[in-house]
Amino acid sequence: MGNGDCVGKYRFSRTIGEGNFAKVKLAVDTSTGHPFAIKIIDKDKIVRDDYMRCQVKREIKTMKLLHHPNIVRIHEVIGTKSKIYIVMEYVSGGLLSDKLAYSNRFSEQEARKLFQQLIDAVDYCHARGVYHRDLKPENLLLDRKGNLKISDFGLSALRKSGDVLSTACGSPSYVAPELLVNKGYEGAAADTWSCGVILYEMLAGFLPFDDRNLINLYKKICRAEFTFPQWFTEGEKRILSKILEPSPEKRITIPEIEDEWFRVDYKPAIADESHEKVCVDDVAAAFDSTEVDSDEHCKTGMKNSSSFINAFQLIAMSHELDLSGLFEQEDEHTEKKMIVSKHTLGETMKKVEDAAADTTLLVERVYNKMKIHPKMTRCTRSYGDLSAEVIKVAPTHCVVKLSRSSAKLGDYGKFCQRLSSLLTENPATSTEKDVFKVLKRNNSIIKDLRIPEEEQKSENQDLWGYSSS
Amino acid sequence: MGGCLSVNVDRIPGYEEPALLSAETPFSVREVEALYELFKKLSHSVFDDGVIHKEELLLALFRDKNKTNLFADRIFDLFDLKQNGVIEFGEFVRSLGVFHPSAPQEDKVAFAFRLYDLRRTGYIEREELQEMVLALLHESELALSDDLIQAIVDKTFNEVDSKGDGKIDQEEWKEFVLKNPSLIKNMTLPYLMDISLAFPSFLSPSET
Repeated sequence: MGNGDCVGKYRFSRTIGEGNFAKVKLAVDTSTGHPFAIKIIDKDKIVRDDYMRCQVKREIKTMKLLHHPNIVRIHEVIGTKSKIYIVMEYVSGGLLSDKLAYSNRFSEQEARKLFQQLIDAVDYCHARGVYHRDLKPENLLLDRKGNLKISDFGLSALRKSGDVLSTACGSPSYVAPELLVNKGYEGAAADTWSCGVILYEMLAGFLPFDDRNLINLYKKICRAEFTFPQWFTEGEKRILSKILEPSPEKRITIPEIEDEWFRVDYKPAIADESHEKVCVDDVAAAFDSTEVDSDEHCKTGMKNSSSFINAFQLIAMSHELDLSGLFEQEDEHTEKKMIVSKHTLGETMKKVEDAAADTTLLVERVYNKMKIHPKMTRCTRSYGDLSAEVIKVAPTHCVVKLSRSSAKLGDYGKFCQRLSSLLTENPATSTEKDVFKVLKRNNSIIKDLRIPEEEQKSENQDLWGYSSS
Repeated sequence: MGGCLSVNVDRIPGYEEPALLSAETPFSVREVEALYELFKKLSHSVFDDGVIHKEELLLALFRDKNKTNLFADRIFDLFDLKQNGVIEFGEFVRSLGVFHPSAPQEDKVAFAFRLYDLRRTGYIEREELQEMVLALLHESELALSDDLIQAIVDKTFNEVDSKGDGKIDQEEWKEFVLKNPSLIKNMTLPYLMDISLAFPSFLSPSET
């Protein structure tokens, strides 16, 4: 199906974008002549383990369900043995970053229109529990009429979250301060910050935070150190000051952004949800060729030793070596808790979600990390930072690392209690002994098969979803 | 904390000039001064003598001065550069400097190696690794059978001990960390990035 310049009914032409894990090619539907942009993902690179496979599948499904005029639509997902093709709407007007590069700055009217469209789309996604986490002009496309379209919404698994912070992948100029200091963060507030930086850049023609020295740049971002050019109007200054607020708790929320300045000429987009039936079956099918049931994987797929954690990784993730205690006041000492799970990674994550099911908490997956925060309504909003990280220690043993930085968090107690009881339930199947037999066998194989360097690296990154910078 | 206690008068054993420490570490003079406020707090928490005892470190890290913990012991040992059983101010700042986000990676890699080389033989041995894993699992109440622990240690040596001589030397460790940079993420304390920003209270001690 996918030989070189064709896949399905699509014929590829030139490459229009290239990233770490994916390539985007322009393609034509040979039956209709319509152009599409097709994102090509190397399965080997991205869906190495069960967990990543589930995650990417889930995210593509989510993205397929997003129907908003300012979000790039996914039409179809096709899978071959080695690749996944995501057939997307082709947006012909280029990137916002290019437009910013060749026009000095935008008029207030133009910037406001694009900002309204951006906020509209972001609000739409947040309401569905989907966060972008990497909003920047390179991810914003313009159509022929100059309307904005966000690409890659919900595809955060396809980006390594660490990339945002590393110099190799460009400037962290759009990244919220709470991400830089490596605190737990909340997707919504971080996206809001990025929208603010984008609005500033459109109005000013340059970035609010800029410095060749990365450390200085970090400092500027963390302190929200920026000035307004003299041509900024009062309305612009007011909204930007509220968005570029270093503390995510104090930062204005998306719904609150709709102030006087924002409302000028505002035409809310109409999301066309019931317009057509969306079929997500193709997403699953696209993955099927390499799909291995996770339990089966434990027994048969252990050709490498990734089923076990490397002891140094185990040590690095533990709180034992965490010196943060020196810097925290007794009362604000973040609570850290480890809960042991005698289940596979997938099962454990499922249980974390189950434990939160009947509470007022909302669980959001980011790799093997899960952010947990109170369900939000449009008007009431409270922040709490609870994150759960699930780490595979052995094939059927995981550790759930909970850390909490906010004292008040809805049903936290109830959640913990339910989680521990769910996790300590004995799995119906295989006992540790059975599993070990498999391991023993596997062990002798590892000795002969050194894991290629690249694999080690990515496996390690998968474990935490980021690498230290 | 008396507002009149200026840094220049209350000399304590092991006190060093902030300017000197700033030159040797990634911290600015103001940051060293801020660290001094923290040091004073820590070094007077159990024994009122201006040096940090192990109990005081344990109290700060675990809110429990009588806790026994392998890793805290190692940290204390490494911070105690003069090996005299207490951590003095200069030692505190120099050692924390390694944990600064902009400290050289080599320093972090070397520090981690020394930390894990429990018996200071210059190698991380199988027994040491096993001891650390056990200590860790004990703390986290993760009960793994000996066989599983063995499997984890085996996997680790398969990956790290590239020369296959049954022990991990500095070179092998460096090489492995290079491929897996997140292994030393525990050697970076984001808190140190901008001390005055994170702890404004350190820089403006209360007047009362």
